[in-house]
Amino acid sequence: MHDKQKVGASFRDPSGFLFYHEGKLYRQVNQEYRQHYDHLMSSGLYDALTANRLLVRHDEVETVPAPEPGRAYKIIQPEPVDFISYPYEWSFLQMRSAALTTLRLAREGLDHGMILKDASAYNLQFHRGSWQLIDTLSFEIYQEGQPWAAYKQFCQHFLAPLALMAYRDQRLNLMSRLFIDGVPLDIASKLLPFHSRLRLGLLTHIHLHARSQQRYADREVRPEDVKGKISHKALASLLDSLRNSIKNLSIKIGKTEWANYYRETNYSAAAFEQKQSVVARFLDQVSPDQVWDLGANTGAFSRLASKRGVFTVAFDVDPDAVSQNYIQVRKNHEEHLLPLVMDLTNPSPGLGWAHAERQALIDRGPTTMALALALIHHLAISNNVPLKKIAQFFTQISRYLVIEFVPKSDSQVQRLLRSREDIFPDYSVTGFEKAFAEEYEFLAKEPLKDSERILYLLQRRAS
Amino acid sequence: MNPILFLKPLTYLDPGSGSFIIQMLLAGLLGIAVAIRIYWKKIVKFFRKNKGGDLQEELDEMDEYGTGSGNQPDDGED
Repeated sequence: MHDKQKVGASFRDPSGFLFYHEGKLYRQVNQEYRQHYDHLMSSGLYDALTANRLLVRHDEVETVPAPEPGRAYKIIQPEPVDFISYPYEWSFLQMRSAALTTLRLAREGLDHGMILKDASAYNLQFHRGSWQLIDTLSFEIYQEGQPWAAYKQFCQHFLAPLALMAYRDQRLNLMSRLFIDGVPLDIASKLLPFHSRLRLGLLTHIHLHARSQQRYADREVRPEDVKGKISHKALASLLDSLRNSIKNLSIKIGKTEWANYYRETNYSAAAFEQKQSVVARFLDQVSPDQVWDLGANTGAFSRLASKRGVFTVAFDVDPDAVSQNYIQVRKNHEEHLLPLVMDLTNPSPGLGWAHAERQALIDRGPTTMALALALIHHLAISNNVPLKKIAQFFTQISRYLVIEFVPKSDSQVQRLLRSREDIFPDYSVTGFEKAFAEEYEFLAKEPLKDSERILYLLQRRAS
Repeated sequence: MNPILFLKPLTYLDPGSGSFIIQMLLAGLLGIAVAIRIYWKKIVKFFRKNKGGDLQEELDEMDEYGTGSGNQPDDGED
């Protein structure tokens, strides 16, 4: 009826769905889910999870009309999440955290007589400094003997990509972008090295699991057939075994290109301090409600914004830098900073059914203010993007822009040009200002000490 | 009679035949494996000096117990 308001990703589960009403996000809980919802709220599970910040809080509302009144049991308003991120944008440590949180949720559910009926990585978000389940309708009442219907999904969404990242390469987090319902286990089994079979968890939950899927692909096994076959205790050991499998996976952090960037830059301590104070001044001048730091490295400048209580997303292409940033966020209990892996030359696209289940980066904006510090040479020179096109892209994602121009004379740019022809005659301060003036008004221009770099504060022209 | 007995499972995912079958096989085996593992850990712990303060452990604890004001539940291991 009001299908236009429904959220694109919210159609699979008949328990309910998300919708927008007057710009705010609500969830309709359907009659089918009534008993389960009541159990969630009355068993103490909701209170236990929200107190530990493992599930987003919600309020029941009476005043919002149900989009499907015939099916509706309740309308709830979940606490809004500042920015929805996806598993293919998480570093290894983030995905590992989300996996352990999912298992924690499952165990906590069991203790309250409920079971997670799905284990989608998309149901977890890093919100206010901790991983939280955002799908309030994920639990159903547990019946003794019932197997875990989400076992396959958990292995595909979490264990398989984590194992591939740990055993092969961190960049395989992008496998989740290719397969919307997680990495198929037969593929994971083929791609993992033979010695991964020596780990009992990976042997059983990935390799033998994949074999079993293949072998019984044509055999019909209905949930009723397996009912009563898996005791509560066995289910708890299954969860425990998955938890050990995840905890045994690790990666080394450090030793990639930009992880040591701040030590290797060519500006002096004075220039670095000046850059920080200028960016801080621009932040105070605009006072944005959200900031995207593009090319954030380990988040030194993102923190200028997040420490002012402004929710900030720190994007970087280097998974190690993102991991280091994430470690700082967790250690210092920072609540306003979300580090993410993002290649701006090929940002996350719209994915899934009708391209609408997972949003493109650009559709998750525009944000109020973007920082593009020491970034432009990577886009213009390493990736050959004309300055005009860079300006146009930035106008699509943000109203205000703090951008640092790094001229050809700078040693970082010289490094990029060392092994290639200089085919960039327009890459100069004049060329930059001309290209950006078409899209932006210049609010401020600050040359940085001891270098030839310049910081600008720009405002998108009203079109 | 308990109305819960009449609850239809809400499973909207296809749990997969093979995934159910391996789960049943594992159900038996894992109980034993977990028990062995706990004893094995105790033996290893006994012989190894406590390193302590592991960052990974710290992060794991936050994920597994949450970061809010609620009581940290006992996870029953060891």
